[in-house]
Amino acid sequence: MDFFISLFSDPVGFWNSHTLLISQIGINGIVATSMFLVLYSGQLSLAAPGFMAIGAYTSVLMDLYLHTPLFLNVVVGVLLAGVVGVLVGLPVLRLRGVFLAIATIGFIEALRLGVVLNLPVTGEGLGLKNPNADPLGGVPIILVSLVVVLFIVWRLTKGRLGSAWSAIRQDEIAALSQGIYVARYKMIAFVLGALIASYAGALEAHLNFFVDPGDNQYGVTRAVQILTFAVLGGSGYVLGPVVGASLVTLFPYIFSSAGDYINVITGIFLIAVIVFRPQGIVGRGGFAIVRPAWWPRARLSAPSPG
Amino acid sequence: MDQQIVNAIFIGSIYALFAVGYTLVFGILDILNLAHSAVFMLGAAITYSVVVNHGQSFAVAAVIGLVASGFMGLVIEYVCLRPLRRRQAPPIAALISTIGLALVIVAAVEQGQVGSLFSWLWVDGSNSLAFPAGTVPDPTWHVGDLTLEASKVLIIPISIALMLILGYVMRFTQVGRGLRAVAENPRAARLMGLDVDRMITLTLVISSALGGLAGILFGLSLGDISPYIGRDNVEVRGLAVIVLGGMGSIPGAVIGGYLLGLIEILALVTLGSNARGGVAFAALFLMLVLRPQGLFGTRLRERL
Amino acid sequence: MNRIRVVSWLVITFLVAACGSTGGGGGGNSYSGKTIKLGAVFSITGPGGVYGPQSRDGAMLAVKQINASGGVNGAKIDLTVEDDASDKAQSAQKAQGLIQSNNVLAVLGPTLSNSAVAVHPLAESLKTPILAVSTTGIHIVPDCKFPDATPCKYVFRDSLGEQTAIPDNIKAYAEDQHPKTGVLLVAQDDKFSSDGGTIVQNTVGQYNISLLKVIKFSKNDADLSPYVTQAVQLKPDVIFITSLGGIPAKIMNAARNLGWQGQFLGGNGFNTATVSKQAGAAGKGARSASAWYIGNTFPSNKDFVDSYKTEYGKDPDQFAAQGFTGVLILADAAKRANLTFTDVAGDRDKLRSAMESVNIQTPLGPFQFTSDHDVKQTVWINQMDGAGGFTLVKEIPAS
Repeated sequence: MDFFISLFSDPVGFWNSHTLLISQIGINGIVATSMFLVLYSGQLSLAAPGFMAIGAYTSVLMDLYLHTPLFLNVVVGVLLAGVVGVLVGLPVLRLRGVFLAIATIGFIEALRLGVVLNLPVTGEGLGLKNPNADPLGGVPIILVSLVVVLFIVWRLTKGRLGSAWSAIRQDEIAALSQGIYVARYKMIAFVLGALIASYAGALEAHLNFFVDPGDNQYGVTRAVQILTFAVLGGSGYVLGPVVGASLVTLFPYIFSSAGDYINVITGIFLIAVIVFRPQGIVGRGGFAIVRPAWWPRARLSAPSPG
Repeated sequence: MDQQIVNAIFIGSIYALFAVGYTLVFGILDILNLAHSAVFMLGAAITYSVVVNHGQSFAVAAVIGLVASGFMGLVIEYVCLRPLRRRQAPPIAALISTIGLALVIVAAVEQGQVGSLFSWLWVDGSNSLAFPAGTVPDPTWHVGDLTLEASKVLIIPISIALMLILGYVMRFTQVGRGLRAVAENPRAARLMGLDVDRMITLTLVISSALGGLAGILFGLSLGDISPYIGRDNVEVRGLAVIVLGGMGSIPGAVIGGYLLGLIEILALVTLGSNARGGVAFAALFLMLVLRPQGLFGTRLRERL
Repeated sequence: MNRIRVVSWLVITFLVAACGSTGGGGGGNSYSGKTIKLGAVFSITGPGGVYGPQSRDGAMLAVKQINASGGVNGAKIDLTVEDDASDKAQSAQKAQGLIQSNNVLAVLGPTLSNSAVAVHPLAESLKTPILAVSTTGIHIVPDCKFPDATPCKYVFRDSLGEQTAIPDNIKAYAEDQHPKTGVLLVAQDDKFSSDGGTIVQNTVGQYNISLLKVIKFSKNDADLSPYVTQAVQLKPDVIFITSLGGIPAKIMNAARNLGWQGQFLGGNGFNTATVSKQAGAAGKGARSASAWYIGNTFPSNKDFVDSYKTEYGKDPDQFAAQGFTGVLILADAAKRANLTFTDVAGDRDKLRSAMESVNIQTPLGPFQFTSDHDVKQTVWINQMDGAGGFTLVKEIPAS
């Protein structure tokens, strides 16, 4: 509770002493939006952490070896992620549902354990140090980026791409029979998601003094966390995953009395949301309550003929 | 090199035993139960806790661990899966629901400290522990130039026996036929008078018990029990195994498990020890791209 | 009158400090009624949890003793200890919280070199003194932002670096037994282990030990048997183990099971009772260099060992001694720093400069920082006794 008190009584001071937290919320929001894109087009892709890793490592490596400005590093990182997105997307997008999820898990773990962990240039297991990191100064860029990304994605969903994605999400085969180039639109969503995720990854690397291939950063744990943002917030609306991201990142502070049990509560929340309110917090509609068998129901009797 | 083959077979047994539970649930329910790795860990953790914190013998502890794991199957069904079936939720919801349960289980063990809410379950937080020396007689046998630790070697016959029993049950018993009917077509099975809910519960209990057993054997033979053993060691490798073997195929899971063990050791010896982790996923990715139904899988079912 | 009183207090303080007491009290009461807020980030759980609790216990003991004998110039020390669960990101977050929300004057820790990579530069940019009490990797001081070579002004350490410890250990063994071959097992995704591995590789050539193979693995890998098998099959004279937590004991047990009879040489990861116990009989004779030995005859050591045993019911280890010393250092610096207790940023800077001139008696021996904020001290070569403890092999004075 002190958390909220200080938020309202001294916003400026709060802002200044919680920059890391606010930055993290922003970044989580951006990557959650990338998740929104892929889910909106009906693809259960868990590849976001892999693209974050590409964005992060590329920008740090360029900084360390080429000493190019941050802007250029981030752009190169994002473009590289786009290329990888196309390469990975081609074989993988014909898989559906759970199989796509597993393939994307395979991709991120192969990237993390197979590539990053083994290349001396990426610092192998230790990751890289980022001497030009600026943990306290990134907030404005991140928040502005978040707004811009949200706006772009929102416009896309309102346009032709958005309708195509909705159609694909609801019934891929029907969409195909309607003449929609399913493969192309799925690829667009996947690659856009990759671009956004890698941008978030590059920003995150800039905030931290290190980039490392740990499971928490770019592995399955992170993928699950990002999925949680989207599910809790609701993947029906653009703002949903961002709301989910903010909430989950703030959980430890809101429930500070729960202290260490925060992950237990997050897990319970996740189950509760998916059972009782699968459309997420920002979704439309009420709670999915099913009456238990012993609840009295009205009896209907058919009118007798005659 | 021979000793490395022994290593491969041993770790392959663990992977196989773990993957059988995974693939059983997928084959019958078309659901990927991501809480399975958490149950794996829980089996080991409870057994350890009963031995060390409650002072029982290993045999008693192992039975308790097994029962608790099987019980988790019930929890998975009643908390995660049945409510979703009642609400006609899409299969992706089950995936997420089991992820949530896995989070809860791992966090509960992680927070098990002296004096916390979960101290009856576990008191060592995120530490990694081993059974105290002497908990189970663990002689080491030297055969030729091979060194065989009893705890590791015995896993092989135990795993194989269990898998054979499971195969027999599935093929030749009434219960097995019921399970296969549900796998084939749940609606038809219900119309034929089968209690589908009960079959599903049974599937989860068996699968979770197998997962918990794999965890107990893992913890015993490798001397490593922590809240993270599921996530770090078998969660994603289990996926690789069932993809390699074919999702839904029990023989596939068995063969896939040993295959993965061998591939990992091979990579380690030829490419360097770094390669061990990445190889599983390279194999998984390739298999999904080239032959999604795996080695022994049947038709590729497209739910979602 | 005033001047005589101040001088006599100063003399008493000097005598008390020189006699090796816990360095508190007797320095006048200029801070009376105030609280010196200190923070610590230790790994109480996770792999680092094998070492973190001892650092905490040592530090808390020092705080207790100082507060009981009048505090620092009359001020009480308030030490807040946070657990980072051996996780780098959590470590950074907890440190930021201590510095920016709790407004501590200085921070102790973190436990693991892996976490220090994140936390030390953070403290430096927040201009808060941070004293490492167990991190022994390379590029901790003074270049905490390596590869940037700018010295970090706010980062100090009292924990003997592996750069000194490992070569001393190898030298002591090599001069005695003349091993020819070795294999290095290193957890490549852990800075402590990896740094130790680098140092081993850079040192073995000097003693004509040929390193047959460097076997890297992930610290999260539970199944170490393939790596140990690979090592043993090469039949080396020595196996170097630079990991921490439960890993050294597992490797030693596995290697002995495979019938290997050679010598284990390790780093700081060996230096605690838990590891010796886990290794059991397999670890007998395994050697490492330690920054502290329980039986050392420095003036304040016996008191420290006795009071630790009384307070916690067990023997202290190197980590406890370093944690204890950490608080002594901060208390001594605080005494001389002329703290205002109103200007946190200014106080932190004053504390920092006072730390540079610290010169006190501690259980580690007479303690001073080098110009790089590092520590120069005696090194003790230990070996595991196979029953959960250690015996002393050799004492190497500071050069």
